[in-house]
Amino acid sequence: MLKAVGSKVWAIPGGHMPLRSSGAEPRDTSRDELCVLNAGHFDVQLQITIYYEDHEPVGPYLLKVAAQRVRHVRFNDLIDPQALPLDTPYGAVIVADHPVVVQFTRHDTSQAANAIATTLAFPG
Amino acid sequence: MPFGCPRHVKILRTHSTDEFINWSGSVRFIPRSQVWPASDEAVSVYVRDAAARSRKIRVAGSGHSSSPLVETPDILMSMRDHHGLIDYDLSRSQATVGAGTVLHDLGPILHDIGLSMENLGDVDTQTIAGVISTGTHGSGRTLQNISATLVGVRAVTGTGEIVEWSVEQAPDLIDAARVSMGLLGIFTAVRLQLQPRYQLRRREYVAGTDDCLAHLDELADAHRNFDFYWYPRRDEVKLRTLNPPQTPFPELPYACHIHEEQGYSHEIIAQERELKFEELEYFVPAEAGPACFREVRRRILERHRKHVAWRVLYRLIARDEGFLSPVYGRDSVAISVHQNASLPYQDYFDDIEPILRAHDGRPHWGKKHSLHGAALAALYPHWNDFMALRRQLDPQNVFLTAPMARLLGEE
Repeated sequence: MLKAVGSKVWAIPGGHMPLRSSGAEPRDTSRDELCVLNAGHFDVQLQITIYYEDHEPVGPYLLKVAAQRVRHVRFNDLIDPQALPLDTPYGAVIVADHPVVVQFTRHDTSQAANAIATTLAFPG
Repeated sequence: MPFGCPRHVKILRTHSTDEFINWSGSVRFIPRSQVWPASDEAVSVYVRDAAARSRKIRVAGSGHSSSPLVETPDILMSMRDHHGLIDYDLSRSQATVGAGTVLHDLGPILHDIGLSMENLGDVDTQTIAGVISTGTHGSGRTLQNISATLVGVRAVTGTGEIVEWSVEQAPDLIDAARVSMGLLGIFTAVRLQLQPRYQLRRREYVAGTDDCLAHLDELADAHRNFDFYWYPRRDEVKLRTLNPPQTPFPELPYACHIHEEQGYSHEIIAQERELKFEELEYFVPAEAGPACFREVRRRILERHRKHVAWRVLYRLIARDEGFLSPVYGRDSVAISVHQNASLPYQDYFDDIEPILRAHDGRPHWGKKHSLHGAALAALYPHWNDFMALRRQLDPQNVFLTAPMARLLGEE
């Protein structure tokens, strides 16, 4: 049986969802996306805290990732406890109750030429 | 003894220091006293006492309204001790229940005697008198708002008189009382036109916004209950449909089926909503609904996406005859916009409201809006009839607080 892979704490310092989009939505919506791999055998509860330049952190945003599944979530869509503003720098810390792997992806369709950037988050 | 607690009434409790905070948190005030009388007679004593002292009484249901309907400097009354089933008539599918009965409790109560409400709104946390008095509604092309099911009421008028009105004996009074915001009297019991209990199957889909709009009429015709959410940061919709189990659902090749469940109506129609939000909602004529929504959608995409991720809700309501019902005399579409209660909402609502007004919209009484006085009067053909009745039934203005006087233009 594969051991759980990853870490329980991850950090993303460079969040910034572009305001403008071009192309067909929701496929081409400019966005920041959280990609979580839970290769373990337990469902995982994530607690996400969002940090800003000019005010106190907001959170936790709660997400579940089922055992042996991946989950992709757009930061743009998070509303609980409150929506994240677009076009605003933010960082995120993700705390999981079991090890997971976290990848961060930005789709920027501000211009018609699609731009994608992706990286593993920083494991704590 | 706190203000407003008549000495000779033993069957009540009162406390005077609690701040009232509505569900969303934006309506806050400290009344002199909060009371929950245990009988109609006790309600009457409070009203007579308030009239004699030129004091104001408002009744709060479960505090779900986000307009200052219940704000009062004096007595805030709860009908929490007027709850539960009083009597019923299966041959007519009618039941009389206490005004303070919460919908979440009412469903099982009616179910146990073989009856159900025709429809519910998006949540069932309100009291039955609250949803009737504010014009609360669900969604379905042939379904009216909940106040249209009112067929009788027992109330305490502004003079303290305990009265009973029925649709058989006083249809105009009932039409005035349907959406009356506690201005004609304090409801203590309501008789409802119900249905034999029934089941519904819920089916939900995700679809492109343009596909939804292109098939709007078909969707509304093919489902007993139909509405959709539009998500501004995805520009796509969730279609929410309900049909009786024996009614086939149409194929929707342009939509992705994401959820299905079945159960009795009171278990299936309302949803749980824990996340607090503020809401602006207007009712526009049904034929204006699609164009109005398109304009709201365009405006949000152009100006508000930076701060707004909450959905826009599009619902259908059949016309009724309530004097102050927002769907009086016209089949309607209700369009509502939302924002997290913890975030600023006023600039957003101020920018959207003129669009809704430009499509001949009428605001939801229990949600945020900016209209009052003449602007409202112009929207309601029976406005003057209602006002005349209000003055007759509440000559001392016991129920007319400053916010309500401003709302009605009776300052």
